[in-house]
Amino acid sequence: MSDELIISAKNVTKSFSIGGNKHHIAVNDVSLDMYKGETLALVGESGCGKSTLAKLLMRLIKADSGEIIFDGIDISSLSEKYVRPYRKRMQMVFQDPASSLDPRMKVRDIIAEPLKVWKVCDSKEEMDDRVRELLELVDLKESALDRYPHQFSGGQKQRIGIARAIALNPDLIVCDESVSALDVSVQAQILNLLKRLKKELGLSCLFISHDLSVVNFIADRVCVMHDGRICEMAAKESIYSDPKSEYTKYLLDAISAS
Amino acid sequence: MSDILLELKDLKVSVRKDKSYLPIVKGVDIAVPKGEIVGLVGESGCGKSMSAKSIMGLLPSSARVEGSIFWHGKDETTDLTGLKEKELRKMCGPEISMIFQEPMTSLNPMMRIGDQVAEVLLVHKLVKNRNEAREKVICLLSEVGISEPELRYRSYPHEFSGGMRQRVMIAMAMICEPKLLIADEPTTALDVTIEAQILKLIRQMCTSHNMSAIIITHNMRVVSQLCDSVYVMYMGRIMERSSVRELFENPLHPYTKGLLSSIPKIGDNPEYLSTIPGNIPEAGKEAVGCEFCLRCSDDERKCFFERPGETKISEDHFVSCFCVEREGRIS
Repeated sequence: MSDELIISAKNVTKSFSIGGNKHHIAVNDVSLDMYKGETLALVGESGCGKSTLAKLLMRLIKADSGEIIFDGIDISSLSEKYVRPYRKRMQMVFQDPASSLDPRMKVRDIIAEPLKVWKVCDSKEEMDDRVRELLELVDLKESALDRYPHQFSGGQKQRIGIARAIALNPDLIVCDESVSALDVSVQAQILNLLKRLKKELGLSCLFISHDLSVVNFIADRVCVMHDGRICEMAAKESIYSDPKSEYTKYLLDAISAS
Repeated sequence: MSDILLELKDLKVSVRKDKSYLPIVKGVDIAVPKGEIVGLVGESGCGKSMSAKSIMGLLPSSARVEGSIFWHGKDETTDLTGLKEKELRKMCGPEISMIFQEPMTSLNPMMRIGDQVAEVLLVHKLVKNRNEAREKVICLLSEVGISEPELRYRSYPHEFSGGMRQRVMIAMAMICEPKLLIADEPTTALDVTIEAQILKLIRQMCTSHNMSAIIITHNMRVVSQLCDSVYVMYMGRIMERSSVRELFENPLHPYTKGLLSSIPKIGDNPEYLSTIPGNIPEAGKEAVGCEFCLRCSDDERKCFFERPGETKISEDHFVSCFCVEREGRIS
């Protein structure tokens, strides 16, 4: 982990219209910094705005006000044309591995798609090599190449999704509840994989989850969100031993009842 | 009469695929004592939902059930597998009821919340008229923690949050005061804070109505918070069964150990989590030996050719594993 910022949000606000003149403020004046090579976990209950914040950071949606600074440049005000180069450097792994892979594409094509779109490979052979390399990185066998998503288990599908996300050597990956749909034993495998990749590739990772025990394993820093605001942000070690805000205590109580 | 309410004896469920039957549940014995909460744990595809659904006759028509399911009613014991659909219908609701995983898809989006709950009463003719039903429903809605039940009676499911919907599901399952509640992954779709509330509610309902419950889950935390005894299932068989405390303090089967150690824990910061090697095999395969032998960390050769029987460890702890037997921990 370095002191260099990879992405930061400054006073970002986003609201959605909910019929009539009413607005729901999903993200309310949020500021946060993420450093290169760190894993920042975003924790909170459903509807607290954590996914919206992730989408804002990736510029998948536009903020109402505030700045998103990626590698020194404010991307929140750039037009679509100028944002595009930054898209390549941010990738996402989704929650439901089944619905995030095209059922009609072979694994080979799924992983190669970002490479094709960005024309990063000069020849077919180079692309093929890269796909095999990626497959190896996520511990899948080469025989997987010519199979379709439905022929894999949930954990394997998530591995394919991860391979696709790291295909372009992004600086930042966002994992939106990427392990919550998996069984515990498979979840442990995927968490290990993410941790290893982060170390090997020097990825920065924004890890969204509602499970504090998972976060404890993977994150360097934890950011707790409630009602569109950040209510606590601290290093992992201190947030579990010494939670400052009431809401964090409440969350910790809910899982330690056992 | 014993204090056992429901007993599954050598239950087998197989599902037709093409021209053959794939075994999904391969001979399972489960006993649910009166007033206790029994947990059924395992990974997806291990047959835990199929076992539970067979109790209520909710399996698809392509499934075949063998073995027996004994229901120890007030004065007589009936085998549920032998009942006609009409007779089983009479049991579902007043005697046994079920809560499903996804509260949104199991509620009718076109019907008011209150009417949906009242429907159960009217179908089983447990009330004289709608007004009486309405009173009962409002009373129960407030019991499951829905504020302003008179107003909420007229709401539609989409106006409720996930946790509230699950409360309505619980009210629906409880309205006839059943003796057994089956909950299939009741909190998987919910947040941790809501999960804690719902688990507390189920526990409360069980105690106050002297009800038994079967909780199906893959979440060990749910088991530890809610259940009295646990059955660990893998590939259609019971690997280990014991009381909750015993299982968490002294897990013996390699599969149980693997499951417990792959959960990340707060206050414990390993470099990498320990995992169970390999993947969950496809459902419906019949192994000669122990179902778990291919992923087991122990290298006992016997496991590949022979299936281990149940070994008694203590009064309420049983495990099916040669490795445990070999180490001579039999009391």
